[in-house]
Amino acid sequence: MMLWVTALNFVAWYIFIFISVVWIMVLLQNRENFYENKSYRSLPTVSVLVPAYNEEKTIGKTIRSLLNLDYPKNLLEIIVINDASTDKTGKIAEYFSKQGKIKLLTNKKNRGKAYSLNRGIRHAKGELIACIDADSIVEPQILKKMVGYFDDKNVAAVTPALRVWKTTNFLEKIQHAEYLLNVFLRKALAFIDAIHVTPGVFSIYRKSVLLEVGGFETDNLTEDMEIALKIHKFGYKIENSINAKSYTLCPDRWKDLLKQRIRWYRGAIQNSLKYRKMFFNPKYGNLGVFFLPINFLAVMSIIVIFFVMAWNYIGMALNYLWKLYLINWDVSILLQGINLEYLITNIVSTQFFLALLGLAVGAYVLYISFKMNNEPISENKPGYFMYLIFFPFILMCFWALALMYEILRFKREW
Amino acid sequence: MKSKKPLDVKTLVSALIISAILFGAGLFTGFLINKERLSGIEKEMKNVITDVENFQLQFLFFDVLGENATCPLLKATLLDINKNSYEIGSKLTSYGSDSEIHDYNEYINLKKEYSRLLISYWLLANKLRTVCNYNASTIVYFFSKDCARCDDQGFILTYLKSKFSDNILIFALDADLDEPSVQVLKKYYNITTTTEPALVINGKLYQKFCTEEELEKILNLNK
Repeated sequence: MMLWVTALNFVAWYIFIFISVVWIMVLLQNRENFYENKSYRSLPTVSVLVPAYNEEKTIGKTIRSLLNLDYPKNLLEIIVINDASTDKTGKIAEYFSKQGKIKLLTNKKNRGKAYSLNRGIRHAKGELIACIDADSIVEPQILKKMVGYFDDKNVAAVTPALRVWKTTNFLEKIQHAEYLLNVFLRKALAFIDAIHVTPGVFSIYRKSVLLEVGGFETDNLTEDMEIALKIHKFGYKIENSINAKSYTLCPDRWKDLLKQRIRWYRGAIQNSLKYRKMFFNPKYGNLGVFFLPINFLAVMSIIVIFFVMAWNYIGMALNYLWKLYLINWDVSILLQGINLEYLITNIVSTQFFLALLGLAVGAYVLYISFKMNNEPISENKPGYFMYLIFFPFILMCFWALALMYEILRFKREW
Repeated sequence: MKSKKPLDVKTLVSALIISAILFGAGLFTGFLINKERLSGIEKEMKNVITDVENFQLQFLFFDVLGENATCPLLKATLLDINKNSYEIGSKLTSYGSDSEIHDYNEYINLKKEYSRLLISYWLLANKLRTVCNYNASTIVYFFSKDCARCDDQGFILTYLKSKFSDNILIFALDADLDEPSVQVLKKYYNITTTTEPALVINGKLYQKFCTEEELEKILNLNK
C-alpha cells in the first residue's frame, strides 16, 4: 500500500477515536443532567401537525396516539394535512375529523411534506407546533416532558428520543440499535448546543420562530436538517429531552432503506453546502466551530477507512483466488495448514489492531447508548452486533453513493 | 437542575490526549506483534542453523560408518531441515512484503544469515545426491522485488513443496540481497535479469515464470 494511503488511514482512525472520546466525555461531564425532566411554569397551547401521504396503514394509530396525549384538550389541536394521498389516508383522517377530534386540511395536488407543514403552520393556533410523520406514534406523557424547555425564550425547538416502532425483522433490529445510538448522540449534541437535525417525529417548534425563519424549505431533501440549521442561524437554541419517547416505522426492506438513506445523506450534503458559512464560524458556537466540521471529517474519515479496508481485504481475497487458480483449485493441499499462516501473517497487522481498537470504542459507545435508553442488549443482540460490525460498511456504501449522486448532479428526489 | 457543561478547550484537549493514548496503544500492539514475529523467525532460524551444523557433522560419519549406514541417516536429517528452512524462508519473505515499519537492518541481517545458511545447506544436499545416490530434485529459486510474478512463483513452489514434500528440496534466495555468496551463485548460473523469476532446477536454469504444470513436467523429466 502506498505510504500516503497508510498515513491517511491512520489519520482517519485517529479522528474516529477522537470523536468517540469527545462524546463520551461530554456525557460524563453532564451525566447529572442526563435524565432531567424540565418542569414547566404553565402549559402553552400546542398544535400537532400530521402531514400524511399514503399512510393508510399507520395514520389511524398515529392519530389515536395523539388523541391519547396527556394534555388539556383546550390547549391542544391536531391538524392532519392530507397531501393528496391516493389510498385511504384521506378517508381515515375524515373519520376522525367528522367526530371533531382533529382538523383536516387536504392538498389538491401532491406538494410534499414541507409544503404541507407550512400550510399546517398557517392554520395552527398553538404557540408551539409539534410535527409528526403519519407512520409514527408517541407516548402520552411526551408533551408535558418537552414543553418545559420553552420557558427559556431562546429555545426554538425541542427534540424527543426517537426509537423504532417495530423490531420484528432483522433490518429493523439493526436500525433499532442505530436509533438508540442517535438518541445518545443527540443528547450529547444538546449539551453542547449543536443539534443539527430536528427529526420529523415529534420535534416541537416555537411557532413565532417558525414564522420568523420562513417555515420549512420546500425543495429540500431533509427539511428537518434545514430547519434546525436555520434555527441556529437565527440565533436560537435547540434542546433535547431523552425521556420523551416517540416511535417511528423504519424501512424493513433493503430497497427502501437505500432510498431513505440516499435521501438523508444527499440532504446532509445539500444542507452542508447551503449552510457552509456556518462551518468554522464562532458565531454558531460549538455547532459551527466544532460539530459541523468534525462531523464532516468523521464522514470523510469513515469513508477513507472503509475504502482502505475494502481495498486491502478485497485485494487480498482476489489475490487468494488468483493463487488458487495458479494451482488449479487444488484446495485440499491448502487445507493442510500451510496457508493458514500465510493468511494470518497477512491479516494480523497494525491496520488490524486499529480496526480492533475502533471496534472496541464503537462497542463501548453503543453499549452506553443501549444502557442510557434502558434497553438491555440481551433483547436485541443481533441488532447490537450487526450494527457494530457490519452496518457501518453498508452505511458507507450509501454515503459513497449519495456523494456520487451529488457529484454527478442526479435529480434530487424526495 | 445543574447548568449544562459546554464543550470547552479543556475537554477537547483531554479528548485529544486520551484518543492519542488509545491510538498509540493500537499502533504499539501492532508494532509489538511485528517485533514478536521477527524474533520468532529468528528463533526458528537458530534451530535450523544448529540442524545444519549437525548435518555437517553427520557427513563426517561417512569415514567411520560407511555409506550404507550413513546415507539413510543423512537423508532423514536433510528432509527434516528442508521443511523447516522453507517455512522460515516464506515467513521472511511475507514479513518483508508487509509495508509496515520494522527494524530494517535487523531484517536484512537476518536475511543474509539465512541466505548463507541456505547455500551451505544446498551444497550439502548436492553432495548427498552424488555420494548417496539420493534422487530428490533441488530447486534454487531467485526472487526479487522487481519481479512482478515472483509472488505467484513463490506460491506455486510452496504448493509443490507441500504436495511432493520429500521429493523436492527448495532453496529460495533473494536475488537483490547484497550477500557475496548469493551473488556468486547468480553469476555461476548466469542469471541476468531480476524482473523474471529464476529457477535452477537440478542444475539447469529456467529464467521465466513457470506454471505448476510446467514445473511438474520438468521435475518428472529429471527424475
